[in-house]
Amino acid sequence: MTQTPWSWKEMMAIFFARQIEDGDTLCSGAHTEISFCAAMLAQKSHAPNLRLQLGGTGYLCNLAGREVIGGVPRTSVDYRIAQWAEAYFDHPETFIFYGPPGGGRRYYEDRAAFAGHNGYFFADHFFVGGIQVDYHGNVNLIGLGSDGGFTMRGPGSVGIGDVITVRNMFVFMTAHDPRRFVEKVDYISTMGPSGWREKQFPGNGPQWIVSPLGVFDFTGEGMTARLRGVFPGHTELQVAAATGFPVARSELFGDIEPPSPGELALLREQVDVNRVLSEGGGA
Amino acid sequence: MTGPARKEVVVSAAEAAARVSDGMTIIIGGFVTANHPMPVVRELIKRGAGDLTVIGSATAGLEIDLLIGAGCVRKLIAPYVGAELYAPIGNCYRAAAESGEIEIWECSEYILYAGLQARAMGQEFMAWRGGVGTSIPELNKDLVVFESPLGDGKEYLAVPAIGADWGFIHVGWADAYGNGQHVGARFGDRVLARAADRVAVCAERLVPNSYIRRNPVMTSIPYADLVIEAPFGSHPYAAHGFYAEDAEHIRAYVAASAAYRKGDRAAFRAYLDEWVTGPEDHDAYLEKVGVRRLLELEREYAGVSLGRHAPEGWPDGQF
Repeated sequence: MTQTPWSWKEMMAIFFARQIEDGDTLCSGAHTEISFCAAMLAQKSHAPNLRLQLGGTGYLCNLAGREVIGGVPRTSVDYRIAQWAEAYFDHPETFIFYGPPGGGRRYYEDRAAFAGHNGYFFADHFFVGGIQVDYHGNVNLIGLGSDGGFTMRGPGSVGIGDVITVRNMFVFMTAHDPRRFVEKVDYISTMGPSGWREKQFPGNGPQWIVSPLGVFDFTGEGMTARLRGVFPGHTELQVAAATGFPVARSELFGDIEPPSPGELALLREQVDVNRVLSEGGGA
Repeated sequence: MTGPARKEVVVSAAEAAARVSDGMTIIIGGFVTANHPMPVVRELIKRGAGDLTVIGSATAGLEIDLLIGAGCVRKLIAPYVGAELYAPIGNCYRAAAESGEIEIWECSEYILYAGLQARAMGQEFMAWRGGVGTSIPELNKDLVVFESPLGDGKEYLAVPAIGADWGFIHVGWADAYGNGQHVGARFGDRVLARAADRVAVCAERLVPNSYIRRNPVMTSIPYADLVIEAPFGSHPYAAHGFYAEDAEHIRAYVAASAAYRKGDRAAFRAYLDEWVTGPEDHDAYLEKVGVRRLLELEREYAGVSLGRHAPEGWPDGQF
């Protein structure tokens, strides 16, 4: 591990932003400064047509060319989110924006057929946190324990098991250790990608697990978690030691580019203007 | 033109809370750190309400945690209890869940909405695919997994109707006849209210009926059974269109509840004494918070607020 001139939160936000394409739809879900900054950064850098539901308010926001005054919203229900809004719906109505164009699996298997499609459909990307994630990508927000009992009660599943039409779920973990990265989660709030296929959900479910150390994907056989890359300043050995399941390389394993000076400048000067991602210093 | 007068339904928070008897089911609206009907929550605790089934919003906040810590709750229906950066998991909720002190009706956001919607529509259940394959139907035996009658082999959950005796919802303003209008986001409040047999709105402002009629499209909770006028009625949480959450107060609550979770209940009792049972009423509570703090919280939303700080050119009543 070496010191980097950016924080792990900044690296993570920049990594997420890079995965977001112009014209995508995204629901940032429950608040974290990382997912908020990632979405805002994408819209300001390369995805001005990103259709973005920012937080739990139901406001659809576009920040392209708009100033972030006073910093990143503090919570997912911060009223200041309204300053970038151009549409709104009640939270339960989120769920009537779930149906992908074309119906069924077509949208996911033949995206070219829907190129330029301009209907709002929630969502291509969705952020999911967890108290545990496992080898199969199952995510747990319910708690630790067994048989309906809890040695540690988690916050609850929120809506992560409801978003069954999501194309790409980012599972993001704000700490990486064998208690969080486990062989099998104690309880399941949303299934991993093989579960989604087995239950014939329209969407794909978790496609990434991202931690302060690196990134896993599910592109291999059996859709199990494989190491896609490590963040600059970290090593594969370090990831293996911090992970409670066997760590193997994805076929797509490769270097993760460090934040470019341009990415960092945009993030710090136009998005995270009060520098909440810098807390904790270098990786 | 004259005729019989319409019924006015304005009451105090204490009078509204007195309608709730032990063992009832109540709904508390809002979302995480915004728009909670706090004067009613505090009055329920003051009265020693108990054995309640409490339905929180789809992302319930520490208003529910407070009710749990004060011993009012027997059963909880909510897919999350916490306050994001202030408290990823509500401390009293966590302690009571781990000790088995409260029963949790395990759900997710739309499982909650599906149940409320079923009740609102007068149906026995709603079908929903979310939650299939998760631990939720294993932990909540009221949810029934069934195979689609269309013959495609897909599994669904039958979510039974969820109703409540009373729903308590915070709104921006309301008239004396019970017409409430949200300012800013409405979250899940309209569905929450529709699933309740009776609804009380806690309004930042009591306004004339003519004010409501200027934009009836904004009326989100029509015909509430009770209206409570309570400026800063969501404090220490935010109210869209009015003021930001009181971070310092929330942190003090979280510290007291963290000690509670570890078995030391003195700090939590002191919090209740000071902020819940101590002040005689909502006005006395606000007096304790202090004018300076309240004004600061208002200023935080200046620029997007429809209150005194509405920027020039912003359309009145449009969001």
